[in-house]
Amino acid sequence: MSPQPQAAVGAPLSRVDGRLKVTGEALYSAEHDVDGAVHAVIVDSGIGRGRITSIDARAALAHPGVLRVISHRNTPELPYRDNSGSNNPPGRRLRVFQDDRVLFHGQPVAVVVATTLEAAQHGASLVKIRYDDEQPSTDLTKAEPGESTTYARGDADAAVRDAAVSLDLTYRTARNHHNPMEPHATIARWDGGRLTVWDKTQWVVGTQTELAAVFGLEMGAVRVISPFVGGGFGTGLRCWPHVVVAALAARETQRPVKLVLSRKQMYLGTGFRPSYEYRLRLGSDRRGRLTAAVHEMDAETSSYEQFTEGVLAAGQMLYSMPHVRQAYRTVPLDVNTPIWMRGPGFQTASFVIESAMDELAHELGVDPIELRIRNEPSEDEAKGVPFSTRRLRECFTVGAREFGWHRRNPRPRSRRDGDWLIGMGMATGVYDTVRAPAQARARLEADGTAVVEAASSDMGPGTYTSQAQVAADALGLTMRTVTFRLGDSRYPATPPHGGSMTMASVGSAVLDACDRLRRQAVILAIEDEESPLFGVAADDVVVRGGRLHVQGDPARGETYQRLLTRNNRSHLEAEGSFAPPSGPERHSFYAYNATFAEVAVDATLGLVRVRRILGVYDAGRIISPKLADSQALGGMVGGIGTALLEHTVTDHRDGRIVNANLADYLVPVNADIPDLKAIYLDGEDREADPLGVKGLGEVVMIGVAPAIANAVFNATGRRIRELPITAEALL
Amino acid sequence: MHPFSFTKVSDTREALDAGRRGGRYIAGGTTLVDLMRETVERPETLVDITGLPLREVSVTERGGLRVGALVRMAEAATHPKVRTLYPVISQALELSASAQLRNMATIGGNIMQRTRCTYFRDVTAACNKREPGSGCAARVGFNRAHAILGTSDQCVATHPSDVAVAFAALDATVHLLGPEGERHVPFLDFLLKPGSTPHREQALQRGELITAVEIPAHPRPLKSGYLKVRDRQSYEFALTSAAVALHVRGGVIREAKAAAGGVGTVPWKLSTVERHLIGERPSEALWAEAARHAADGAHPLEHNGFKVELLRRTVERQLRIVGGAK
Repeated sequence: MSPQPQAAVGAPLSRVDGRLKVTGEALYSAEHDVDGAVHAVIVDSGIGRGRITSIDARAALAHPGVLRVISHRNTPELPYRDNSGSNNPPGRRLRVFQDDRVLFHGQPVAVVVATTLEAAQHGASLVKIRYDDEQPSTDLTKAEPGESTTYARGDADAAVRDAAVSLDLTYRTARNHHNPMEPHATIARWDGGRLTVWDKTQWVVGTQTELAAVFGLEMGAVRVISPFVGGGFGTGLRCWPHVVVAALAARETQRPVKLVLSRKQMYLGTGFRPSYEYRLRLGSDRRGRLTAAVHEMDAETSSYEQFTEGVLAAGQMLYSMPHVRQAYRTVPLDVNTPIWMRGPGFQTASFVIESAMDELAHELGVDPIELRIRNEPSEDEAKGVPFSTRRLRECFTVGAREFGWHRRNPRPRSRRDGDWLIGMGMATGVYDTVRAPAQARARLEADGTAVVEAASSDMGPGTYTSQAQVAADALGLTMRTVTFRLGDSRYPATPPHGGSMTMASVGSAVLDACDRLRRQAVILAIEDEESPLFGVAADDVVVRGGRLHVQGDPARGETYQRLLTRNNRSHLEAEGSFAPPSGPERHSFYAYNATFAEVAVDATLGLVRVRRILGVYDAGRIISPKLADSQALGGMVGGIGTALLEHTVTDHRDGRIVNANLADYLVPVNADIPDLKAIYLDGEDREADPLGVKGLGEVVMIGVAPAIANAVFNATGRRIRELPITAEALL
Repeated sequence: MHPFSFTKVSDTREALDAGRRGGRYIAGGTTLVDLMRETVERPETLVDITGLPLREVSVTERGGLRVGALVRMAEAATHPKVRTLYPVISQALELSASAQLRNMATIGGNIMQRTRCTYFRDVTAACNKREPGSGCAARVGFNRAHAILGTSDQCVATHPSDVAVAFAALDATVHLLGPEGERHVPFLDFLLKPGSTPHREQALQRGELITAVEIPAHPRPLKSGYLKVRDRQSYEFALTSAAVALHVRGGVIREAKAAAGGVGTVPWKLSTVERHLIGERPSEALWAEAARHAADGAHPLEHNGFKVELLRRTVERQLRIVGGAK
């Protein structure tokens, strides 16, 4: 087919749903008006491990408006079929109200259903639960590690030992919670044996499979609707127990039930980025050529599921070296199961590796950028295949120029502004270009408008807009005549909306569906004697502004509307799909960045203030530049939080999270956000996927925390190996 | 939230009647309602006093300042008299909370606000302040934000207010109206250290109403200011803070007022620091010497030991900012 002109893709468009959002018309999960819905409030366990010995619900049930108190005492056995088609990690998932076991502090142990939210909340506070409690184990540094994942090439331990220069460094990262603005919320309604839920989720299909598995239903009997998501960052990638609680409560009360987690509960029954203790040993020659790295890391998981994330890849492929050994141990603790959080795994690995590279650069007296260039690999040394695209050198060059890296004095504590020490730091970021099978459906109406559907989700990156851009160009329509619909399990299936895979996967399926649809219209025209395009070769027809015409002869053609009307066609429809090539990969696919940070440190008072950040991205083609900036700037904000503020604190005496609120769990406020700038290298990755994109939402956060930590070192001479970097570490 | 009744009063007599019957006064509600949602506070009756005529800021006969209890934080912060006479008060207010909260919260409510101790705010944790005799989870728990001064074995929670630190520094008095009439209590006596009764936080009689906070006249010119040290740049309670006011005449410090926040179970008056300043000439060395005493008597816990040195540095910095250096 002849290539379609690209008018919408690459244009810095505003969100198509922006007006709906700012006027409050966009309905989030708790806002759907479901007739007759009653309210449910979860009762959280008050112990960190043990058994429930009694539940006294009398006071709650006596409160006006309270309908039911549901717990393991009165819940029928639920099928809980295995569900391999979900994001459930290996293990035995938490089964809602199926036994008396408490596995972590804050586990849902009962739910109160009432006619009003106030009655349900008050009822929940009246439920008296007694426990037989045991000492929970929640301290990563004091518990026994469990499963281990390993990787090795060469003999890294010997090579580190024999290296001319070697470093042995241990880093620690805090547990982080996603903290989206919108809390998790579910409305569940049963119609006979069919279940409909309106849910905050990043994967309607995943929630659908899990609810079907839990309640023993056919997939088709469960519908999940989620048109708008008020931020996710990964917390919506799994169907958490509260979703089952809502569906169970609706079934038991035979009423639609609305369940909204409180902000506090967002830290209890939903996952988090696990805390790590990460020891890295590096060996290099005197010129800074790396010879070996030994990565040994312990990370939190729950006692009942083994959660892992992509923390190993960066250590295998980011820098050239013959010897690598990695051991990634998960440590089972009496905590809820972690879940991926923006830039999962790579974020943590990047903080460690990029901090260590800065330490090595300082040790050797080599510029940090130069050190990285000296270790730039010519292929993926773990997979033994070339990179599809890897333009880090350009990222460094552009970044150094735009940031004014030459003004950095490599000697720490050499720049001062009043009480503030000023420092610059940089780091490399890398994230896997994930792609997964996806489907989409496109329908062209006789009035010349089109609707494109895919299950998908839009947790904030602007899926509605960017997919419409892809569809508009493929169909030769304007943005105004294309509608993209998402967030419904009845639409064609898509993978989780996470891991930066949506544009590559769903976008490619949308492109395929729209290409097929356009081709149908073209064939209809060239085979129609009454069409001015009759007899033209299909490859010579393009569509622009809803009008099909001969390439190079715009006068010869007609509109979709005219074509369909004359042919008595109410619509044309096509299905499209995308699947990454099967078999061994011929390329290694990653998105990259170079991130630069300038910080001011009041060394007397221990305060760090970020002054500016620049990210330069090698992320393939940028479909929607304005949305890309939202992602990049948001990623930097997240990176500032991880570097300086965010830390979920557990009281190890009883496993209680002590800062489960937004006053004590600190995220950056506007005043903490300085001058942020994003630059995208022009181009595309033709090997990665039909759209040439490599994914953006994750890689923009990776590299920010180490760039800040390295800038703090440059400012103060103090190397902080634990995140977040707080006042007490710098005093 | 536990069920409660709500009544609005239109004059102080009605308020006192309702208060005497056990009603809890509510003005901005920015602390009380939060705590009711967490069931930490379970009042049976709320008495809305926002209709009372306590919204004036006025200069007293002796040249001090009287701030009505119902003056909003935002109003007090931007009041021309407050700004010119006591910048330390304006700054402390503007570094507090968020703009939205400052538009709601009142001065009387601000000094009545309860601790941010996370164990106090979690009804499933042991807390002598919330439930006398239940123990203190914070002493050996996570106590990074907790007090190092004025603590007892019963309680280590900080008083969270910023403006209260300025009031303590400036030797303010609290005007109270009760069934027996009016009385004035020195600010430092109004807020109580926990001792063995951490649930008693103010020297208030049942049903007594705060009507105003009065700042006495100080010799002029009085240079003053507030420094707040915290992890992020806005919307966070202080790790440490310092309110400082200095009157310098003829090159000599004639009057020195200082107090610290974020470190004490009550706003912490820095009397020893003040004594070291009076009669001396401003200098870097003097600031350092005086500030060395800022944390005298501190009892650090497992996670807040850094506050001892941070407090000294905060006070030294703020003395320099307010007093300059020769």
